[in-house]
Amino acid sequence: MKNENAIDIDREKGNFHYDTTYEFDAGIGLNERVVNYIADVKEEDDWVRAFRLKALDIFKGKPLPTHWATKDLENIHFDKFRYYLSKGQQPSRTWDEVPDDVKETFERLGIPEQERAFLAGVEAQFDSEAAYSRMKEDLAKDGVIFVGSTEGLKRHPEIFRKFFAKVIPVADNKFSALNSAVFSGGSFIYVPPGVKVKQPLQAYFRINAESFGQFERTLIIADEGAEVTYMEGCTAPKFETTTLHSAVVELVALKGAKIQYITVQNWSSNVFNLVTKRARAEEEAEVKWIDCNIGSRLTMKYPGVILKGRRARGEVLSIALAGDGQHQDTGAKMIHAADETTSNIIAKSISVGEGRSTYRGQVHIPRRLRGCRNNTECDALLINANSRTDTYPAITVRGNHNSVQHEASVSKVSAEQIFYLMQRGMSEGEAMSLAVNGFVNDLVKQFPMEYSVELKRLIDLEMEGSVG
Amino acid sequence: MRSLEVENLTVSVEGKTILNNLSLNLPKGEVHAIMGPNGSGKSTLAKALAGHEHYTVSSGAVLMDGENLLDLEVDQRARAGLFMAFQYPVEIPGVSIANFIRAALKARQGEEDSFDALAYYRRLYAEMDRLGIDRKFTGRSVNEGFSGGEKKRCEILQMAMLEPKYCVLDETDSGLDIDALKIVAAGVNHMRGEDRGILVITHYQRLLNHIVPDYVHVIVDGRIVKSGDKSLAVEVEERGYDWIKEEMAAGV
Amino acid sequence: MSPVTTVNRESELLTESVFEQFQGRHPDLPPWLLQQKRQSWMEYRSLPLPNRKMESWRFSNVRGLGVGPFGLANAINGRSRAALAARSQDPGSYAGRLVFGNDDLLENSPLSRELTEKGVIFEPLQTAFSKHSGILEEFYMAQKSDLGSEKFAALHTALNRNGTLLYVPENVEIRLPLVSRHWAISENAAVFPHTLVIARDRARVVFVDVYSSSEASSRQFACAVSTLYAGAGAEVEYHHVQNWSERSLSFNTLTAIAHRDSRIRAFGMNLGSKFSRNEGHSIIEGPGCNAELYSLSLSHLDQEMDQRTRQTHRAPHARSNLLFKNALLDSSKTIFSGLIKVDKSAQQTDAYQTNRNLLLSPKAEANSLPGLEILANDVKCSHGATTGQLDENQLFYFLARGIGKRAAQQLLVFGFFEEVLEKIDNPELAEYHRRLVHEKFRNS
Repeated sequence: MKNENAIDIDREKGNFHYDTTYEFDAGIGLNERVVNYIADVKEEDDWVRAFRLKALDIFKGKPLPTHWATKDLENIHFDKFRYYLSKGQQPSRTWDEVPDDVKETFERLGIPEQERAFLAGVEAQFDSEAAYSRMKEDLAKDGVIFVGSTEGLKRHPEIFRKFFAKVIPVADNKFSALNSAVFSGGSFIYVPPGVKVKQPLQAYFRINAESFGQFERTLIIADEGAEVTYMEGCTAPKFETTTLHSAVVELVALKGAKIQYITVQNWSSNVFNLVTKRARAEEEAEVKWIDCNIGSRLTMKYPGVILKGRRARGEVLSIALAGDGQHQDTGAKMIHAADETTSNIIAKSISVGEGRSTYRGQVHIPRRLRGCRNNTECDALLINANSRTDTYPAITVRGNHNSVQHEASVSKVSAEQIFYLMQRGMSEGEAMSLAVNGFVNDLVKQFPMEYSVELKRLIDLEMEGSVG
Repeated sequence: MRSLEVENLTVSVEGKTILNNLSLNLPKGEVHAIMGPNGSGKSTLAKALAGHEHYTVSSGAVLMDGENLLDLEVDQRARAGLFMAFQYPVEIPGVSIANFIRAALKARQGEEDSFDALAYYRRLYAEMDRLGIDRKFTGRSVNEGFSGGEKKRCEILQMAMLEPKYCVLDETDSGLDIDALKIVAAGVNHMRGEDRGILVITHYQRLLNHIVPDYVHVIVDGRIVKSGDKSLAVEVEERGYDWIKEEMAAGV
Repeated sequence: MSPVTTVNRESELLTESVFEQFQGRHPDLPPWLLQQKRQSWMEYRSLPLPNRKMESWRFSNVRGLGVGPFGLANAINGRSRAALAARSQDPGSYAGRLVFGNDDLLENSPLSRELTEKGVIFEPLQTAFSKHSGILEEFYMAQKSDLGSEKFAALHTALNRNGTLLYVPENVEIRLPLVSRHWAISENAAVFPHTLVIARDRARVVFVDVYSSSEASSRQFACAVSTLYAGAGAEVEYHHVQNWSERSLSFNTLTAIAHRDSRIRAFGMNLGSKFSRNEGHSIIEGPGCNAELYSLSLSHLDQEMDQRTRQTHRAPHARSNLLFKNALLDSSKTIFSGLIKVDKSAQQTDAYQTNRNLLLSPKAEANSLPGLEILANDVKCSHGATTGQLDENQLFYFLARGIGKRAAQQLLVFGFFEEVLEKIDNPELAEYHRRLVHEKFRNS
């Protein structure tokens, strides 16, 4: 295989870790003491502490959603994780000030390089806190705020509190409650009216510690007419024990604003990735989620848009690749709440080996609305005889002034396609990669260049081992 | 050594023998045509040479410049210099022609070789212009939504770009109107040369007016039963295949 | 302490005495059946009522499921018998017909001698239970319900006492349809119609079930179960007309089991009931077969039609198709929830599932949950769901030609339904379905 060396490096790209000493450690298990410890080290206001403690109660009271979701959730042992680990709560503004082992981690992942190349700002989170956070100066002059959630709460409480936990209530689900109790890190972004941030802002989430839970909390507000693109990446070393990642991401697009949120999730295969992501789009606002799930053991994530204002537009473009031992349970939610709102969902999944991909969707158009439209397409590609795919959409339409259409298909790469490609001189693995990339190509085209290249490479290496 | 030699090839599909002790020698620099009635085994020969797993070779040998082709996988045969133009080119959704041909070329390169994208596009456009393919086609998915003529021209484009040593054209004329046929034939003629052998498989003589073969072979019941020059094709066109079968039956 | 009074919402059908009462009324049931019924009654009592947390009851208005007011139906008098038999002509020509009122046999138009001599059995269950106990012990309620109505399937098994057994031996073809006509008569009567169709290898048969209430203003509880077995190479066509009164609560469970190279086509027409729950399950047991489920629903006022389907593929090289079309008027509501389930062993499956909803009123609500669970990779599966409305330009065109809104709606609904109706080979039956739609419009 001519690309083998490059591939091996890539496959192992995130699989390394440093024995790091942490100044702050909330210990193992989840209880009031842990929650108070987090509030203490962050020196939080009383309302935040009260919010956390209430969320802890709600978390304890809620059952796991196993009446519809996979029983694998029962293998999460909440009392075995460490819920807060950091070297300090203050991120550095230059890479030189970042502790050596942390800095080296992000250098190996190529973050400083990408920052120089095409980013307007970067936040790099190492376990529970951001180690580095910096934004280009001209954006600060425009009034753009891009900081971690800890810093956001401290320095911009008036904006933070106004929007915090409004799109996703604490009790939305068991994992949003968990995040609300122990959240740390994540991004807080505010883009003032009319400001269009041209280059993307990026966050990178790194888990370094074993038996750890990462619970970042991200809140992005694009004020009237503002525009912003946010990208997140994530990796973790592969441990024997399980790792938990449970984020909450809330987006608010005020009148005429545009938010694009891009995720390339490549967690190691011991990570439970249970994330709640939702946006509110006001009048004529546009929210687009681009969600790629390649890694993790189990991902459950259904980005949603509440279309609150007239002519608001929501979109979810989702790509999932489930390899051996992986379950990508992903999808989208579109809640129409105003006239002439439109939503579009395109989901493509690839199941390889014993991988399982599941699409769950919800589209809701209530009574009295007019001119709402939804289009949903889900296509699944099955590579091997023991691969699996499920599709569970739920569509509710009331009233006779709206239209919805949903289509789904399941297919495989045909033997004739592989023969044709091999007759042109490609190996079976290359042929399979090309066919699979072709399957997702129309979606990938909509991604920023740097991410589509990254995604293509990830697909190539997943496919290499799938044939023969 | 400078030829594609098929020796006593017997091929079966699902236990049924289709090619029966077929022998053929295609030297470089020549164009041979294979004609035959429906079900005679023409397409089976093309697919078996390319190495389709559906076709089982039970005996015989195929040597390409002395190398045993049957030992190689489909892609190895292709990289060794064998090109097959498909009768029914396969659709590859989402993969553009430009990316597809580039991937095929890269598969032929060594690990260390760099790929000159600029030179690639210059060549690609030149070949497309010759075949009368609109440049917009480079961005379209391979064969998806193509007309019959477009598909066949795309096959010839790939053949030109990949510069194979031996070409097997499997019923390339099927589904083409006369204008498209002329363009495709011109493309093939352009490929003729001292370092290349071309095997044209066809049901009709029509194509051979435009790609004039050096030899014509008639295949019936999985064997080559008659060989001759171009005039044999004309005779077949005029008289059909029955007289050849009758000759066979009579043991002529 | 104040005295504790418990109000049992489901007093009548839930109390132990109902089963004793049932047993008392029917002392002649064979022991094997009694045993099965007793067990099912216990199962019915132990299973929980559906709630919306259950995936199989998502979106459903489970509050409407109280069976409180209903009780065992009483026998009806001779005059009603004759009147109902006279009103049972509608599906058209038949090879045999059974008419039931409150689960009692009212009329029996038996098979021709030719067919009985070929070994065809067309028999009311009340006599078949003892006469053909061999067949019934093997097939009667042999297929477990698992689409959500397990509780009501158990209730059906416990209290069912009549219905139709149709048994068609190998190679026998019956050209004309066999009809079973069920009437529900008195207020608050609970009825339990049952149909069992067994088509042996290469047999061919058409069966029609029609359910309706004698009085449009009355209210009943109907819990019907139909099972179709198609042996190797057999062809079974089944029609099911649900037209209970619009105050009624009804359940209908259809299971179609297709063996090698067989073909099953089932057509459902849903018009009646205040709340109806329809469960349809096609099971592919052998390669080469083709199972098709079709359904048309026309709902108005505050009717709720809840449809749950499954296409289970257990064998390779088979095909299944499903097309459910719902037209909704007024503030009616439909739920379609379907699942194609392809087992690991079912390679080369072709399975399709389509739900189309036509919303004709601003207050109507259509829910669609078209699902796939695919465990084999060499399959062609797709599903589609669309929810649309009467196009305003179309309506304007009708109005400009002097055609009123209701008439325009009716024309569009007929157009919308035709895609299914044209698949019915027997013109008399197709016409019967059209007439039913027409009547519903006339009465709405």
